[in-house]
Amino acid sequence: MSTSSYKKGDPYSHSASLPDKMTVFQECLQQFNASPVNAKKCRQLLSQLLRLIYSGESFPSQESTTLFFSISKLFQHKDVSLRQLVYLTIKELSSTSQDILMVTSSIMKDIQSGDLIYKPNAIRTLSKVLDPTTVSASERLFKNSLVDKNPIISSAALVSSYNLLPIAKDVVKRFTNETSETIDSYKKFPSDQFQLHEYYGSSTTNLPSTTFMYQYHALGLVYELRNHDKMSLKKLITSLTDHQALKNSLAVIQLIRFIHKILIDDESLIGQLFPILLSFLKHKSDSVELESCKVIISLQHLVNKYEFANVINCLQKLLNVPRTATRFAAIRLVNKISIKHPKEILTVNEELENLINDPNRSISTLAITTLLKTIGSGTIESESSIGGESVDRLINKMTSLMDEITEDFKIVIIEAIENLAIKFQSKHKKLVKFLTDLLRDDGSLELKTSIIDTLFDLIKFLKNDESKQLILMNLCEFIEDCEYTELSIRILHLLGDEGPKTSNPSYYIRHIYNRLVLENSIVRSSAVISLSKFAIICGGDVKTNIEILLNRCLNDIDDEVRDRATLSLKFIKNNEKRLIINESKFDLNILENKLIHYLNDESNFESKFDINEVPLLTMEELNSKEIENKLNNLDKNDDVEIESNHKSHQIEESNEISNELLKQQEFSSELSSIPEFSGYGKLSKSTLKPIYLTDKENEFVVTVNKHYFMESDDAKLVLQFNITNTLNHLILQNVSLICQPDNSLYEEDFILSIDELKPQETGIVYVVFNMPNIDDIELFNNFNNTLSYVNREIIDDNGNIDESDEGWSDEYPIEDLEILPGDFIHPIYNSNFTEIFDQLSFEQSTVVNLPGVKSLDNAVTHFKDLFNMMPLEGSQDLDSDANSHILKLFGKDIWNNKVAIQVRLALTGGKVAAKLSIKSDSDNVAKFIVESI
Amino acid sequence: MNVSLYTINSFLILDHEGKRLFAKYYQQAEPIQKQFENELKIFNKVNKLNQDILIYQNKLIVYKQINDVIIIIISNLDENESLVYSLLSNVSESLTILLDNTIDKLTILQKFDIVSLCIDEAIDDGIILEMDSSVLVSRVTNPPSNVMAQDINLNKIDLSEKGLFNALSFASKKIGERLQQGL
Repeated sequence: MSTSSYKKGDPYSHSASLPDKMTVFQECLQQFNASPVNAKKCRQLLSQLLRLIYSGESFPSQESTTLFFSISKLFQHKDVSLRQLVYLTIKELSSTSQDILMVTSSIMKDIQSGDLIYKPNAIRTLSKVLDPTTVSASERLFKNSLVDKNPIISSAALVSSYNLLPIAKDVVKRFTNETSETIDSYKKFPSDQFQLHEYYGSSTTNLPSTTFMYQYHALGLVYELRNHDKMSLKKLITSLTDHQALKNSLAVIQLIRFIHKILIDDESLIGQLFPILLSFLKHKSDSVELESCKVIISLQHLVNKYEFANVINCLQKLLNVPRTATRFAAIRLVNKISIKHPKEILTVNEELENLINDPNRSISTLAITTLLKTIGSGTIESESSIGGESVDRLINKMTSLMDEITEDFKIVIIEAIENLAIKFQSKHKKLVKFLTDLLRDDGSLELKTSIIDTLFDLIKFLKNDESKQLILMNLCEFIEDCEYTELSIRILHLLGDEGPKTSNPSYYIRHIYNRLVLENSIVRSSAVISLSKFAIICGGDVKTNIEILLNRCLNDIDDEVRDRATLSLKFIKNNEKRLIINESKFDLNILENKLIHYLNDESNFESKFDINEVPLLTMEELNSKEIENKLNNLDKNDDVEIESNHKSHQIEESNEISNELLKQQEFSSELSSIPEFSGYGKLSKSTLKPIYLTDKENEFVVTVNKHYFMESDDAKLVLQFNITNTLNHLILQNVSLICQPDNSLYEEDFILSIDELKPQETGIVYVVFNMPNIDDIELFNNFNNTLSYVNREIIDDNGNIDESDEGWSDEYPIEDLEILPGDFIHPIYNSNFTEIFDQLSFEQSTVVNLPGVKSLDNAVTHFKDLFNMMPLEGSQDLDSDANSHILKLFGKDIWNNKVAIQVRLALTGGKVAAKLSIKSDSDNVAKFIVESI
Repeated sequence: MNVSLYTINSFLILDHEGKRLFAKYYQQAEPIQKQFENELKIFNKVNKLNQDILIYQNKLIVYKQINDVIIIIISNLDENESLVYSLLSNVSESLTILLDNTIDKLTILQKFDIVSLCIDEAIDDGIILEMDSSVLVSRVTNPPSNVMAQDINLNKIDLSEKGLFNALSFASKKIGERLQQGL
């Protein structure tokens, strides 16, 4: 394309499309090498070149180098505007070209004596063409620019030094003093800064004399240069805030982040640094106020309630500003507080209600979900009528909102309601009504599906029978007039599962029978199955009546319906309950995994696929996994990603459910491939998350997974130590572990060690123990671990070692490893803790003090992790200022005994005491848990 | 928590169909095809909605739709929303000035050099270099002027941008004086 057609034309026609790469390339070579150079034309060509680069075109290394070379010719031309664009182009090409060092001297000359306009560009470009060996040559240049009176030059030098840190930290380190001085200095623009552009002309009013950006850049650089010295950082923070040296709001934000960082490392400094954070809550810039709120909120546990109110006030103000981004940020923060401390934000409820109608949908969604949470805390605390009123008001608001918004947005709100109904079960009734009303309105299949999904989940997870019935009845009504076959089928299936357990199954039978009369064949056949479930579970009269109904279906015009009716009748007659009702299900992910594995290798076909390898999950287990995931998501999702693609979302979710099982499966197949372990039988349980026995930054990083083989008579414990060698100059040989158990019932069997571990490699050492079984009470143990190895130093660049040197053997103590009760327990969900707790026959109880645990929150996490059990009835959430709490945990051990633990926690004088009542199917289990504490 | 100066993940200008006019990824370099796909996805999320800000794919996205183009800045989820939005609105303000009040596809393509320079002056490698719109404008050079034909002897006349501008302001000052005298 020629340059003339580039200048004008219709944006949607030919000229708007990308110029041809080769044409531009050729023309560049031609023009840049011409003499004299035509500045205007060259700038246009560079502009086209940049357009290609920014559109994603890239030049192969050789062409790029050629281009680079010809562009360097343009240094001969004096025009400043051409030179500025030359620098930008060089910067962009530097990553793909070779021999870029050749322009170094031209650039350096410009930095020393060039025009003020392109000097900053030259500095920034220089940092891109330098390599580690040449940085030191330009040290003086950078240093001079850094202390330059012109803020733009200084900033350019600071940012370039910052970018050079990864390749030349030692050189940049020598700028430390100059950088620190820059923070405090006053640099202003030269008087002709704004005269270049006619828009500003000679006017000097309203134009800044400096923007202090260099403070921000210098602060960032100083931090990198000093980050290992906490004391000097603290000094920097206090000195900068004492005389309010920072004029730039980005610099202030950066300072707030440093304060955050320092407080995370050392919480005891809060008393000293908190007033500084507090002072930033009243700043002229929104961003600074927001940043300060963010930090205080993330450190909320260190701040007392009275002081925290300042943050709420600040947020309240920010919720009302006209700028969307700020409102959005503020409501994100309010929502974050509401997850753990809904009561704190009751004061902003009015603002939140106004935001429900905010034009930005993310804001209005967050407002609704936050309100739902705060209202929940209101009902617990105050008279129910007040809380009830506000729920009504909110639901009214939402109902009116529902008319105005699009469907995908409705779906987001429905999902939010579901999450909240699960978490705050006390107020599901109103929400169920809201959902069923919505179900009756017109809507697309997608919307209805999401409502139905939500109702289904509520039925699964709500403990209250009454509300279950309410939902079921509403669903019955819905299918009376449902235009979507797929939804009718799902509901019929659910009615078959849940209906027989209710107090009045005949109500549902009537509705299901109506389907048999009125609907198409697909719905009819599903109604047949549903009815047969009622017959088999309820028995008695119900059974005979249903048999009569099903007999009529034998004359149905559709063969599928007839077949199903015949089959069902037969099953009912022979009382084949197992054939009608599914009580367990294969783990589909593992099944898929195994099948793929099986099909990939034809030699597998000689033997049959063994379905027994795929674990069967009971419905109970499936449910617990699901709810665990949902709750996790709820905690994670403090940000609502509006209109997320629901289908992919759901797939991800189900993947997460199976991840744990897959991991377990992986371990199992990994271990079974090792011949030494072949006689151990099925792997009973593994700890899935690797436990770190060293710091993550150590010379050797060691993590461990525990694998239990408990099915054979002599139980085995396999400790899988994953060892990473992070040293670049050492090869480790004969890597092994010395594990000393405290408990004499644990006997070391054998060790599979690693012969050689090269730098940056990870290897696995297995240490196998004979271990006691559940009948022996003393199951718990502490392993004292030491890593042992032979050091061999690497002597050349190829990683070879000196063969004549035998190296030296060494030992490296690492942290202890404990056997915990959680190793033997799976978390299980159950909607009614009290009932199950009363049913279990063996009880043990004990009282413990928790040293080192300072808050109830931490105590809850402590017990949850220790036992690896699922907290029920929302008992993992507690009030921020409560002094006591009851935690209800439920799970199942690997011998299939149910375990329920009720933990009463009390906080007195900064210490937490816990009274545990443990109930179980088996006396041994209860005892061994007590033992463990 | 991000304590480094690297703040911005990418800067995009898309046209009315979601095709890119300008794209600079400062941090991770995804394969180009993936970039295009993502840009289109983002475009479909934001086109004609004028919501200013949203969270998408675990990124914070701020955007401004002006005529037939959308200017988008993407940063990490925990970045300061107000800060990133200020950057966006200041950069688009300076672009408005630099492009003579017409931000649209045609103008951006015609004056691509100016657009590129302006963005480069605002963000270097993901670090915010300058946010003040007047300073940004003052840092961007206009292309060499048309008068510079090659057959004129340029040695004695200062026809650089600066020289011309000086001449212009001198002229306007003189005219102003004359007018005042006349009145």
